[in-house]
Amino acid sequence: MPDQETDNSSAPPSPRFEPDDGWVPADERLFGVDRRTIAPTLAVFALVIVMSVVLPVINAMVPYDDIVKAGDVLKLEGDVTVVPEAGWGITSGVRAGNAPLSGEYPATATVEQKAVKFRVHTAPFNGDANKLLDQIETTSEALNRGRGVHVASMHTTIVTDQGKQGAIARVTGPNTGGVIAAFVFEGRGVEAVATGPSDTGPESTAAVLRMIRSISHPGEGTR
Amino acid sequence: MTTTPADLDRARNVALDLSGWGRRFTFYQPRNFAFWGYLALVGTGMFVFASTLTREYNAYAPAIALAVTSFAIYAALFWWFTQYIDHYAKLPAKLMVVAFLWGGFAATWTMAANANDAILALYAKSFGQSWALNWGAGLSAPFTEELAKGSGLLLLIALAPPQVRTAFDGFILGAFIGLGFQIIEDIAYAMTSAGSQFGANQIGASIGTIFVRMVSGVAAHIVYSAIFCAGLIYLLGRPAEPRRVGRGLLLMAIPMLLHGTWDSLAAIAGPSVLTLFGLLIAVVVIALVIAVRVYELTARRERDFVRDVMAPEEARNVIAAAELDAMAGNRKARKRYRKAGRNQRERKRARYVLNAAYGLADELASARGADTDRVRFARAEVGRIRAGVPPPPR
Repeated sequence: MPDQETDNSSAPPSPRFEPDDGWVPADERLFGVDRRTIAPTLAVFALVIVMSVVLPVINAMVPYDDIVKAGDVLKLEGDVTVVPEAGWGITSGVRAGNAPLSGEYPATATVEQKAVKFRVHTAPFNGDANKLLDQIETTSEALNRGRGVHVASMHTTIVTDQGKQGAIARVTGPNTGGVIAAFVFEGRGVEAVATGPSDTGPESTAAVLRMIRSISHPGEGTR
Repeated sequence: MTTTPADLDRARNVALDLSGWGRRFTFYQPRNFAFWGYLALVGTGMFVFASTLTREYNAYAPAIALAVTSFAIYAALFWWFTQYIDHYAKLPAKLMVVAFLWGGFAATWTMAANANDAILALYAKSFGQSWALNWGAGLSAPFTEELAKGSGLLLLIALAPPQVRTAFDGFILGAFIGLGFQIIEDIAYAMTSAGSQFGANQIGASIGTIFVRMVSGVAAHIVYSAIFCAGLIYLLGRPAEPRRVGRGLLLMAIPMLLHGTWDSLAAIAGPSVLTLFGLLIAVVVIALVIAVRVYELTARRERDFVRDVMAPEEARNVIAAAELDAMAGNRKARKRYRKAGRNQRERKRARYVLNAAYGLADELASARGADTDRVRFARAEVGRIRAGVPPPPR
């Protein structure tokens, strides 16, 4: 008769039974849900709320205090400059002489005054101002598919203080109005868009036109 | 004291229980709260991404097509590589897909993108636009993105507690989370570039971004998340990985530091392109060296599991001692074993034997150490290949 103890030590042990992934021990159920999975999920949700709700809300509550002073000039990539209106708030872009450490100015600058927003963007472009405005219109139509802000008038000419000719058109959208202007300086396109409520007063409109006319590029003559 | 085959079998069962090796993963777990959390967060991210892609496709179709095709190939290469380095107690492929989707959609669009925008704007308001351009990305993304990606591992542990057992599992799953994050983020960057020149010259504007993202991506999110998630497992502790708070925190801090340095390179280098290029290479090399070190550190426990699972096979002469050492060793050990062959034919056969032995280990793990038909067949395969007998005709 085989020795029981020896038998036990030499027989290969059977693998322990394991239930499938869906099984929840009776003492770990809370309304049928595995209570052990609640804490880690809530921890992740807490992080999601901080990232997607708390931080954006804090950001929305903190006002901009980077207010344009008389004489400030915003500089963009490719040596394009624009003179913002004193009293408006800078929400993106940097002043001339205050370049980032990399030495490269950003391609976009935005200033705001109440609900009126003025944004200037620059990038390489081959063609003239009218062609650039057409390109912007095409891209904008493709993105918005007839909804949102769109060009609502024929192109007309605008001349900057530097004497550079550009193209300008009116834009409209739901409860929104504004203008869009385009310039091309030696292969560098500049887009300036101002949008605000449809009932924006003449003061803001004049300020926007002054900012558009202030756009300049070194070495650019009248063309 | 002599070790009997029964002792080795017991040690094998303990290793299989501890490691979770070979256990199947079921994604659909309606009684698991993490399942619903995962669905909600990944679903939200997918919706946001799909909405953006659909909207922008109308305007930037050529650039988006190029970006999606390029990054799909890139992802496939990294997918293969990341699976390739998972030599030991392999994780289920389904779990890797779940990790990839978390990184690609939840971590990016549901979490990090919102936080990054808010923090960058807050930095600009508090310290000025120029400061924000210099340091904003470097002092926001490392925290938001690493935490967003790493939090996915918490859900994966809750979804698959028997499978996610070691820091090495964290390392591999972290790499897949990072891969998902990187690919979807890269596509988003390419879309931004496509519109940067007013929608004109889309391919020209985005191809540079695609190239730079591909080159720099070698040591970016995949590496950061792999290290971070290994650290998270050490911090939390798992049945097969004792808690080591200090090591865990260090490993979670390292990718944040690397990420922050990477995002601040332009500011650190200043206007010099040469300095920027030198720093870029240095950061990539340092990140890769650290990743290899962490891989080696975390793989030790997995190698022990391989040894415990295969030791009974060595005791029963299914595999040789040298083969067991190679299987449970590092890349150098496997190379040494293969190179021991006298000629090309023997070296090639050694490689096949090793692969067949890994196949046997996987079958043993799936059978939880039992002597099933599949295990017996896998054993016979090791013997057949070693004897140089060709496979039966198909």
